[in-house]
Amino acid sequence: MSRTPLQPRSEPAAPPKRARSVMGRLSALQGRSSRTHNVVVLLLFVLLAALPAVSDSRSLFILLTQVFILAVFAMSYDLLLGFTGIVSFGHAMFFGLGAYSTGLFLSRFEATLPMLLLSVIAGMALAAALSYLVGVLSLRLKSHFYAMLTLAFAGLLLVAAEKWRSLTKGSDGFTFAIPEPLKDRATLYLVCLCTLAAVYVALRRFTRSPLGSVLQAIRENEQRTESLGYRIVPYKIAASVVAGAAASISGSLYVLTLRFVNTTVFSMDMTLNALLMTIIGGVGTLYGAVIGAAVIEWAHQLLTDLAGVHPIFERWIIFFGLLYIVVVLVFPSGIAGTCASWLSSMRRRRQPEDPEEERP
Amino acid sequence: MNSLLNLIVNGLATGMLVFLLAAGLTLIFGLMSVLNFAHGGLFAWGAYGGVWLYGLTGSFAAALAGAVVIGMLLGWVMERVVIRPVYGNHVQQILVTLGAMLVLSELLKVVFTPNPLKAETPAWLSGSWDAGGVILIKYRLFIILVGALVYIGLTLLLRRTRIGLIVRAGVANPDMVQALGINIRLVFTLVFMFGAGLAAFGGALLAPYSGVVFSEMGMQFAILAFIVVVIGGMGSIQGSALASLLVGLSGALMAYYVPDLSLAANMLLMVLVLLVRPSGLFGAKGGGA
Repeated sequence: MSRTPLQPRSEPAAPPKRARSVMGRLSALQGRSSRTHNVVVLLLFVLLAALPAVSDSRSLFILLTQVFILAVFAMSYDLLLGFTGIVSFGHAMFFGLGAYSTGLFLSRFEATLPMLLLSVIAGMALAAALSYLVGVLSLRLKSHFYAMLTLAFAGLLLVAAEKWRSLTKGSDGFTFAIPEPLKDRATLYLVCLCTLAAVYVALRRFTRSPLGSVLQAIRENEQRTESLGYRIVPYKIAASVVAGAAASISGSLYVLTLRFVNTTVFSMDMTLNALLMTIIGGVGTLYGAVIGAAVIEWAHQLLTDLAGVHPIFERWIIFFGLLYIVVVLVFPSGIAGTCASWLSSMRRRRQPEDPEEERP
Repeated sequence: MNSLLNLIVNGLATGMLVFLLAAGLTLIFGLMSVLNFAHGGLFAWGAYGGVWLYGLTGSFAAALAGAVVIGMLLGWVMERVVIRPVYGNHVQQILVTLGAMLVLSELLKVVFTPNPLKAETPAWLSGSWDAGGVILIKYRLFIILVGALVYIGLTLLLRRTRIGLIVRAGVANPDMVQALGINIRLVFTLVFMFGAGLAAFGGALLAPYSGVVFSEMGMQFAILAFIVVVIGGMGSIQGSALASLLVGLSGALMAYYVPDLSLAANMLLMVLVLLVRPSGLFGAKGGGA
């Protein structure tokens, strides 16, 4: 049975004798698939890192840099939605905090690398504090409350950024200088790629840690986890704090590539980006979020180019919105999950005796 | 004195509009455990529909009625196509209603152009009365009157009629109502359409009040409505009514005295309620994990 976090969870407990053998097979399989995973990820990383040596296409760099940054954002969202089963409609607030933190530090002080690092850390701390606050307020209630509260808080931050003009210059925004070494497109590209890789590895470690297993247990069945003796609220808060801090990193990188920040970083569209990428790419896998970021960014560019052909393509959100509804209703595990289950069912048909039915 | 009274009228009028949105939201949640994140989209469709029909027919009553019909039709389609397949799964529901919101508000831009539309106030409701030195704007009083009528009508409908009895029983325990031989799915659909109609009605009423309609206004009002249902308690009409007036008044007063903090004041109110009484002022449902 392929477990997808969006499907109702009502599978009966497996009988104990079978359970042990399944667990044994599962861990063996996890070892094998984890090795394949590592090889694929490493290969991809090397290929992408070698890109500046073979190509200097400006538009390709810009597109890929954007994909890397949004992939970090989408992965942080996946930690909430895919691994813990929490729905947030205000993820943009953490992104925006990182963005403004970096923008303000680099415009008010000297634009150097240590200052950039300091601004990223400050953004992460702010985002972590805010997500702690929101989590404490609403995570002990039904899932609707977190969604509503994050939506309202993101709305509040958007208004605050518009009104506090002495600090943010409102929706006009402000430009700032970036550290000298990052002015080269290829360097910035590599920095974003390395950040993506680092965040990916860190979040993968996090989700596979004992804490991460408890989070997934909460996603699968909150009552059962609680009755096993875990206090679920602190675990959920931990997930939301880590997700907030990770989202803030992507916000910092985002404005670094633009050398400009305005209130759009707090907008609903930013949250929708994370939602669409995570849902369409596939929840609960991390790499699904990366796939989603690539697909959405690429499709976005394609549809924007098509806007010259027919004005309906200017309203590209409609296509994503419809696609999103279809994915939630019909393919709740997204591109990554659906492909994985196709692959495993194909493999099963070829080797009926192979115990491949248990995909991690 | 004059300005204070005007602020109170403004606050009550906004509160009534938010109530129209929150009433549907809270009923739908109480009955079906669905929190409809697309409610603001229905509100915006009501506003655009009302403006369009008013321009077409020249009759404000026809515009309001038409907006309600548009809202109910959209609600029917939504309930059938996107919400019915995911009953019982909260995460999927929350996600799918947000998707519907996205499509509804983008569709507005396709149908009515992305630019804001100007909304006219009908002649018999424009202008103001001068009551002993206090100037009262007619249209705002009209909204308050209509809102109060809707509240009374809704309460009577729920308390005194058979369908109201079924709905109240459904809020208490939908499975038991089903077991008693009532087609609860049909009740769900009807209540959803009713809530959608109320939201669209609120949108159509808002349009002449704000003078202009734009697609993002759905989300702005939806956020207020969410704050209201949290404060008032999910599933409670009385709670929503009280909280709407509270939110409307505090918004209007803050907007006058400390304009930068008007949304923050309402958020603070919500945070306070969440800390002290997570199930809301009147809520029976929604508290606890």
